[in-house]
Amino acid sequence: MTAAPLAPVNFSTRVDKVGAGPRIRTAVRAVVAVIITIIVLIPVVWMGMTAFKSHSIAVSVPPVVFFQPSLESFVSLLTQRRQLTADERADYAARTDLSWADQLMLQRGQVIIGESQFRTQLINSIIIAGISTVFSVGFAVLAAYAFSRFHIPGKDDLLFFILSQRMLPAVVVTIPIFLMYKELGLHDTHFGLILLYTSFNLSFAVWLLKGFIDEIPREYEEAALVDGYTRLQAFRKIVLPQATTGIAATTVFSLIFSWNEYAFALMLTSERARTAPPSIPLVLGVGTIEWATIAAGSLAFLIPVVIVTFVLRKHLLRGVTFGAIRKG
Amino acid sequence: MFRPHPLGAGETQILSRCCVSQVALKPAQNAAQPVARRQLSDATIVRLFILPTIILLILMNIFPLIYSLFISFTEYSVISDVPPVWVGLQNYQRILSDPTFWHSFAVTGRFALLSVALQTVVGFGLALLLRSKFTGSGLITTLILVPMMLSPIVVATFWKLIFNPSYGILNPLLGFTNINTSPEWLGDPNLALWAIVIVDVWMWSPFVMLLCLAGLSAIPDYLYEAASIDRANWWFQFRRITLPQVMPLLLIAVLFRTIEAFKQFDLVMGLTGGGPGDVTETVSVQLYQLAFQGQFNTGMSSALAYIVLVVIIAISNLYIRALNRARGG
Amino acid sequence: MKKFSLLLALMAVLALMTGVSVRAQDVTELTIWWAEWDPANYLDQLVDDYTAETGITVNVVQTPWGSYFDRVAAEWAAQGTAFDMVVGDSQWIGQAVTQGHYIDLTEFMNSNGITETVTPATLQYYGEYPAGSGSYYAYPTEGDANGWAYRKDLFENADEMAAFEAAYGYPLAVPTTWAQLRDIAEFFTREDEGLYGVGIYTQIDYDAITMGFQNVFFSYGGDWYDETFNALGVANTPDTVAALELYRELYNFAPPGTNNAFFAEMNDLFINGQAAMIMNYFAFFPALANPSINPFSEQTGYFSMPEGPTGLRYAALGGQGTSVNNYISDERKQASLDFLLWFAQEDVQLKWAQLGGYTCNIAVLESDEFLAVAPFNAAFAETMTFVKDFSNIPEFGTLLEIVQRNLHAYVVGGEGDAAATMDAIAAEMDGVLVEAGYISE
Repeated sequence: MTAAPLAPVNFSTRVDKVGAGPRIRTAVRAVVAVIITIIVLIPVVWMGMTAFKSHSIAVSVPPVVFFQPSLESFVSLLTQRRQLTADERADYAARTDLSWADQLMLQRGQVIIGESQFRTQLINSIIIAGISTVFSVGFAVLAAYAFSRFHIPGKDDLLFFILSQRMLPAVVVTIPIFLMYKELGLHDTHFGLILLYTSFNLSFAVWLLKGFIDEIPREYEEAALVDGYTRLQAFRKIVLPQATTGIAATTVFSLIFSWNEYAFALMLTSERARTAPPSIPLVLGVGTIEWATIAAGSLAFLIPVVIVTFVLRKHLLRGVTFGAIRKG
Repeated sequence: MFRPHPLGAGETQILSRCCVSQVALKPAQNAAQPVARRQLSDATIVRLFILPTIILLILMNIFPLIYSLFISFTEYSVISDVPPVWVGLQNYQRILSDPTFWHSFAVTGRFALLSVALQTVVGFGLALLLRSKFTGSGLITTLILVPMMLSPIVVATFWKLIFNPSYGILNPLLGFTNINTSPEWLGDPNLALWAIVIVDVWMWSPFVMLLCLAGLSAIPDYLYEAASIDRANWWFQFRRITLPQVMPLLLIAVLFRTIEAFKQFDLVMGLTGGGPGDVTETVSVQLYQLAFQGQFNTGMSSALAYIVLVVIIAISNLYIRALNRARGG
Repeated sequence: MKKFSLLLALMAVLALMTGVSVRAQDVTELTIWWAEWDPANYLDQLVDDYTAETGITVNVVQTPWGSYFDRVAAEWAAQGTAFDMVVGDSQWIGQAVTQGHYIDLTEFMNSNGITETVTPATLQYYGEYPAGSGSYYAYPTEGDANGWAYRKDLFENADEMAAFEAAYGYPLAVPTTWAQLRDIAEFFTREDEGLYGVGIYTQIDYDAITMGFQNVFFSYGGDWYDETFNALGVANTPDTVAALELYRELYNFAPPGTNNAFFAEMNDLFINGQAAMIMNYFAFFPALANPSINPFSEQTGYFSMPEGPTGLRYAALGGQGTSVNNYISDERKQASLDFLLWFAQEDVQLKWAQLGGYTCNIAVLESDEFLAVAPFNAAFAETMTFVKDFSNIPEFGTLLEIVQRNLHAYVVGGEGDAAATMDAIAAEMDGVLVEAGYISE
């Protein structure tokens, strides 16, 4: 029910008054946006294409756009193989029970001896990045609200302290944290990495969420408080829904950071808690950098993040609404 | 007539007048409102909300911060069994008097300036483009965010391939067909830094875009309506409505991108390793060489890190002051 | 504050638990750390035999090359026990020994006769520190050095041979001197056809361009410093300047885009047909012998480093030796030594070579079986008799960075000239050596 006596509500959207001019403008914008998206994505598409190439094509001069695709790199990504010696090769090739994956690897002179670490690492990544994102956004939204709404002694200093966490170059922090973790037995544990990523993300998350929450007028909560809501209820029912965009954006950024973090994942884990980023980028094959396998791994690793972002897209674009009442 | 001006404290009065009534209605409608429940005092809430964050940050960062600070005043290598030797400000003096460090500061500064400026322009432009919702704008927004979702090392690895004059795709796409005369992006001292800037901008403009988009979509349309009724031109609308609204979030984005630009390591190391020669040797590359790579000079690298920290703190302070001004006005 | 102390207590309990569980067991498994590459996979396969014999599981844990040293060093810093043995780069020895990370293997290797089984050059470079002391800290495991691969089809093509002889006055064949190599590189550089003479190391990151240059540098009689650690007038002589100018010339005969190239780019250049000759570590030649990776594999030949103008011949050393971690328990040290004793046996080394490992065992290197295993083994066996390394004193990291930066600036960046570059290197090295106390001022 929009029984507001004031004119503004009638101006809530432009859709009512769309004529030819604005429609053409929107169409032009859409076209330009599509073109820009295509240009921006060319390197990613190139990487995607590389995943389906065999090695010699990946580094051909000049670069090749049309080629015979192959799943060779994906098999290489997911399996552990070893080189067949010349004698073994003849025997092996004569076997009749080889799967399509085996055949592919045989072309390279390799036999599959088991699964690679990729699946485990992917699962570790999901666990560690997922949990740390939940915690960092959770803690941050609370802190951001407090900083935004209340007078806290030394607020500016505290906020700056939070910001300063990101200022020291990682290279220098690596050794002390490594030593600390070794001492505390946190080395190569999921908990250890989760702790680390949560604290890294907190810095940015608090600042970003505070930025969003600052934009939400206090009057809503104050009206609610006047009407008998507790502070916590006001927070949950008034502020949080309006901060959805901020929360969505912060979630996406925190997730991306934890998902792709490389240096600490390398130093602080070995077998059990190893995530995917340390092993994808530099897959050394038989004396070459396996561009195709790296591409396959990067592509596979990219997909979960894209999915999460796509699911959240409506929240990312919604924005804070002033005055316009939601339908329903 | 409605005069458009940035949503400040005054503006919200109007809105609350219109909306308070709706909000006030709610508790009355749900009669079984648990209003009588014991309430936590504001002070307790504040403490409860802030404590997890502060505690976690202190736990994780106090030791490294203090450790590095202490070590920066010593001559020490963490892998040797020789204990740290106190040398006071010697490490700092060495660094500040060594021309190679000033050179790397200059490179880093130039890189940060170029990269952040371009990211801001491109990101903001993209946000302006995408603010009006058309079919598929959600999908397009997600797709433009993809560069940011890739691991920095993967980005560096593949862009190295793309920049390669022999088997990369950039030069052919730009129209250079002869591989012998096409630009050697990563090997030419004049182009190398630009190459890294291009990759950084490609990767992080979406970040700026997303934050600007959030700010832009919060601007109520009636402000623009009122402005156009007043016959204000596009530039006026942009300067007085759009920009001020977006400024807080934009500044946060720029602040964080600047901090990251000063620390940028993965892209530089992956693309050029600091070369050719030392043309793209940023401070973080030097830090890495000092702290690892066989030298393991923990003392000097800690000192250098703290110098970088001081620089970043100084610059951040400038931004924060601008941020507070933007929000306060 | 209560939360804080609770958390701390929790962490302490965790630490205690992990600490207790490790000590109480007998040695049933060993861990070897190596870089992430195929030889580590071969080792992984080989150690199954040890498990079959003794029941002890051996885990080979691999770390990507780029971060290998960082991880090992971090472990040293923590005096950690994550590995029992590490297959370390030859250059690490100085640091590792002076800082006490490796145990002394001298008595072990002497009393078991292991020192006799490996080539003197490999023992000296992979195992001994300080130079000439007779103290050993690593068992030479993976021998490696720089060699060349070339396109036999181009070299043996009648038209090419005729054209070359007409232009240069001597027959086209595998080069035996650097001057000849330069001529052949020039001859095969035909930009319009997309063919180039050579691919050479230029990577600035760790040690690639230095290693590549050293092949020429050493063969021209150069040394980074003499026995008294004096670099001035030793690293920068007219001969070394000539060596650097040659290396720069070779860079001009390389395809575009090789400004930061290391082993992978070398192989890629060869595979896509751009380069007629490439330098590379022997460890990476199996890729070229593999027909599914290298379309020219049937026509790929290999040769060792050529001689310098005075007949000196050297190849830059790569390769690693296995050392035992000083921070593990005595039982584990003994178990590691038992493993090394097994590993050093001739039949095990032969199997190591057959799997693809680059043995340093003299008998195996000379055997017919070894030469038959791979087309480059002949060149490899020959090369291992004239290898030479960069410095392995603890300050090697700083010295290396100096050479890398200066070489890259001149060869790739085109800054300055060869003489100024070598002077700068010598001067900077001198500064470091003086400060480290090697030279008394």
